[in-house]
Amino acid sequence: MKKIKFQKSLPFVFLSPFLILFGLFYIAPLVYGFYLSLFHRYGLRPATFVGLKNYVQVFNDANFWFSILNMTKFFLIQGSIMIGLALIFALYIDNEKNHFRGLFRMIYYIPFAIPTAISGILWGFMYSKSLSPFQSIFGLVGLHPNFLSSGSLFWSIINIVTWEWAGYNMIILYSGLQSIPRELYEAAHIDGAKSFDIIKYVKIPLIVPSLILSIVFTVIGTFQIFNEPYVLGSMTFIPPSFTPNLYIYTTAFSYGNFNYAAALAIILALVTFAGSMVFMRFAGFKEE
Amino acid sequence: MKKYVISLLVISMLLLSLAAFADTVQLPTYNGPAVTLTFWSWVPGISNSIAAFEKAYPNIKINYVNVGANFTEYNKLLTALSAGSGAPDVAQIEYQVLPTFISYGGLVDLTKYGINKYESLFVPWTWNQVKSGNGVYAVPQDTGPLALAYNKAIFAKYDLTVPTTWEEFEKDAQKLYQESNGTVYMTNFNAIGASNVNWLVGLIWAAGGQLWTSNGNNWVQTINSPIAKKVVSYWGNMVNKGYISSYEPFTSDWYNAMSNGKIASMISAAWLPLLLANNLSNQYAGQWQIVPLPYFAGEKSTSGNWGGSTDAVTVQSKYPEASMIFALWLNANPTSTTLDNENGGLFPAAITGLEDPTMHNTSTNTDKFFGGQDVNQAFFDASDIVNVNFAWAPWANYFFNSFANYMNEALSGKMTWDQAMDQLQSSTLNYAQTQGFNVK
Amino acid sequence: MDTKKSFYSPSTVTMVALMFVASAYFLLPLFWIIIASTKSDSQLFSTNPLWFALPFNALNNIFNTSSYDGATLWRWFSNSIIYAGSVSAGTTLISAMAGFAFSKYDFFGKNILFYIILGAIMVPTTALVLPVYLLMHGLNLINTYWAVILPSLVNPFSIYLMRIFWMQEFPNELIDAAHVDGASDFTIFFRIGLPLVKGGLATVALFSFVSTWNNFFLPLVVISKSNLFPLTLGISIWTSLTSTGRGPSYGAITMGILISIVPLILAFILLRRYWQSGLSSGAVKG
Repeated sequence: MKKIKFQKSLPFVFLSPFLILFGLFYIAPLVYGFYLSLFHRYGLRPATFVGLKNYVQVFNDANFWFSILNMTKFFLIQGSIMIGLALIFALYIDNEKNHFRGLFRMIYYIPFAIPTAISGILWGFMYSKSLSPFQSIFGLVGLHPNFLSSGSLFWSIINIVTWEWAGYNMIILYSGLQSIPRELYEAAHIDGAKSFDIIKYVKIPLIVPSLILSIVFTVIGTFQIFNEPYVLGSMTFIPPSFTPNLYIYTTAFSYGNFNYAAALAIILALVTFAGSMVFMRFAGFKEE
Repeated sequence: MKKYVISLLVISMLLLSLAAFADTVQLPTYNGPAVTLTFWSWVPGISNSIAAFEKAYPNIKINYVNVGANFTEYNKLLTALSAGSGAPDVAQIEYQVLPTFISYGGLVDLTKYGINKYESLFVPWTWNQVKSGNGVYAVPQDTGPLALAYNKAIFAKYDLTVPTTWEEFEKDAQKLYQESNGTVYMTNFNAIGASNVNWLVGLIWAAGGQLWTSNGNNWVQTINSPIAKKVVSYWGNMVNKGYISSYEPFTSDWYNAMSNGKIASMISAAWLPLLLANNLSNQYAGQWQIVPLPYFAGEKSTSGNWGGSTDAVTVQSKYPEASMIFALWLNANPTSTTLDNENGGLFPAAITGLEDPTMHNTSTNTDKFFGGQDVNQAFFDASDIVNVNFAWAPWANYFFNSFANYMNEALSGKMTWDQAMDQLQSSTLNYAQTQGFNVK
Repeated sequence: MDTKKSFYSPSTVTMVALMFVASAYFLLPLFWIIIASTKSDSQLFSTNPLWFALPFNALNNIFNTSSYDGATLWRWFSNSIIYAGSVSAGTTLISAMAGFAFSKYDFFGKNILFYIILGAIMVPTTALVLPVYLLMHGLNLINTYWAVILPSLVNPFSIYLMRIFWMQEFPNELIDAAHVDGASDFTIFFRIGLPLVKGGLATVALFSFVSTWNNFFLPLVVISKSNLFPLTLGISIWTSLTSTGRGPSYGAITMGILISIVPLILAFILLRRYWQSGLSSGAVKG
């Protein structure tokens, strides 16, 4: 019997549903967004072509760069705390000798199942003085912190985001740890390595790709933070320049400057891309 | 006693003259084909008024949608207008963002449909607010003239006199601060968050300040005028000294502090008493009382406005005339305004609504919460002395965010209150100019 | 055996204790919301936030949250199921097909296309949502279920996952053998292939269900009719209404929040086999 050859068009038959949607809802909007960014339009009047003028304005927009800086700071602090915790958790649940591994894995991962908008509201309630369980706890040592004041808001959101995503990153790192051949540990053990040395010299170097993946996801996620500050906005004042996405949303939907918002979004995409690339290059991370 | 008789006399004369007005103008009838209108609003219980409307106008059906309060709704409305579809026929819009939507080109000039005939039905300053040039772009719905609500029990406990001027108010605040060791605040600084900064604008308004004036398309912005700075510093300094609290209004913390007697008074708009009666605990029920807004010594007694809305017809409406008829009936028919007052606490902008006897029925829960006082009457008096010359600019949305931001900066001590107002003026001016407005 | 530490060694006890402290941190908000949802508003403000108060008000809150505004909460609940269910089914099939193509065929521009798709993960949602809104409007899909469903079907990360599952779970030799038997590629994909990668399918299905159930930004922009809101949007609007004194009671909101998070938490606990095995079978090996 003759072997049937793959037809050239076949892969595209399998790809077509995805490609059509990808074209419609990723590529076309990006192209259209770029097109929009070249115009100025106020209200329902006709748009006028302004070339790259909106981009020039973006570079001089102190609010936008404040938001980028704010999230860079957020990433450096929150990202370190979260990935640090995730790594400790992952190392713990990866080690077969430890107790309650399944239970902890489950518990730490649960916040991932809760919508970030809902988490924001939930924590917002818990931060408010009259509903907060923390006030009585902190009250014991004579503290009455206001978690929603402008000074503490940054840290309060760091806590929410860490709560939401630490478990998710733990799973990414755990997957990396699970793929390390167990014989390596035995070999190291026979060579007299202590468990801390195994972690330092065997486990962590081998999960660098997972760590990079975690970091890159965190970079992307941080520059896109929107839901938490948006929902907290009904409980306390959050300036639109708190995060780039909040600023772009406000510019577009509250001020009605869709064209300028389109330019902001494209610059944000480039900033995110650059930020992610730095880490990928830094670690010599390659796909495959 | 004598004073009482006189004021009663004045009121009844006023009511009579208003009634005479009202009789001359009948709300329009609708003879067109059966239509369904979409209506966006966040007034609690407004479906009762809508049901009454549908009964009176069987050919007009209303599809009522609550898409969220103020900014949540405006964002959706602006987007839908910009995209060319998805906007409702009629939308609730507060006075302060009306110029934004008018300048955006999103609202129908209702003079085409003869709205000018109905001008006499509404309180004069509200009509100024819905006008732009020769056009009229919305029907006034409710207003928020300012008065002072105070807690009698706390005033009695600390032996405070009810202030008539801001100077006396500050003396009370200082006394309260000292006697209570800073545990009870005189009032709350409410200008926290973009949707609440209008409280402070209302106080600037009451003091005779103006933020914007316009002549055709030429604008002058005077956010950091001496009057505005004086008002803002007055409140800011009291916050700095710890005399007054700075909770974000309407949050659970704010309600709780008000409930528990941590806050002795509240600069209140006309729509606020119902919210207080509904949301505060009963600990001080019957102890609250409303008196006229204090004023700066040497000035005259005036008031400003905080909040209140209009109903506007959007350019996407296929039935602008039916929409206007709906908006008019909803806000000028006494049955409807009374229902909105009971359910949503709306203080009507229509004279017919204000004069309706049911508005002065003091057996409501709200009136009981205020010790049996005729609450609406107190605000009726406030409404009479609202400064008429106050206008908003089309870049108000930016202004509110910026105002909230600078108030926050000043609150946290990063700048003085005067600096905040100066920076607010320059950043807002800069924004308006980059948007292509002709503004100085 | 000599390496097995005693349960009682000090370092082990410290470590386990710390892990329990961390557990308390992750569970605290859930514990709080369960307590809060059983209280009336005055109990919420006056009783210990971390313990139940009498009279038990849970039924009353369920009634309030269910009846507010014409049972709109349950309408949102079913909307969330419709959105998440259809996106989950659609994404799983689409990603399985695309992953199959990327792992089993060689075609022109394959690598470049794959990198473009991966790069798409980095595009901020705001950059897409705004033009998507205008596009949807052009297609007359604003304020329909499609406005949320169609854009959500495109999930680059699912493609990435499925490609790995096809490479690992479905050996190329099987394809060759099936070809010898005369099976077409479609038969191979549907009859032989899909059952073999069902772990991957379950993972992708679960994750796209979760991400759609949790989506907030897209519906915020493209949906303005409250009868089409998903739970996330509806509850955030309730919260903003209540913060202006014009919404449901806090009791109704906290109960609404509990109702909105319970299904996914249950799904995660019941389906843990899938996401755990799915993820640890090397889904994210760099």
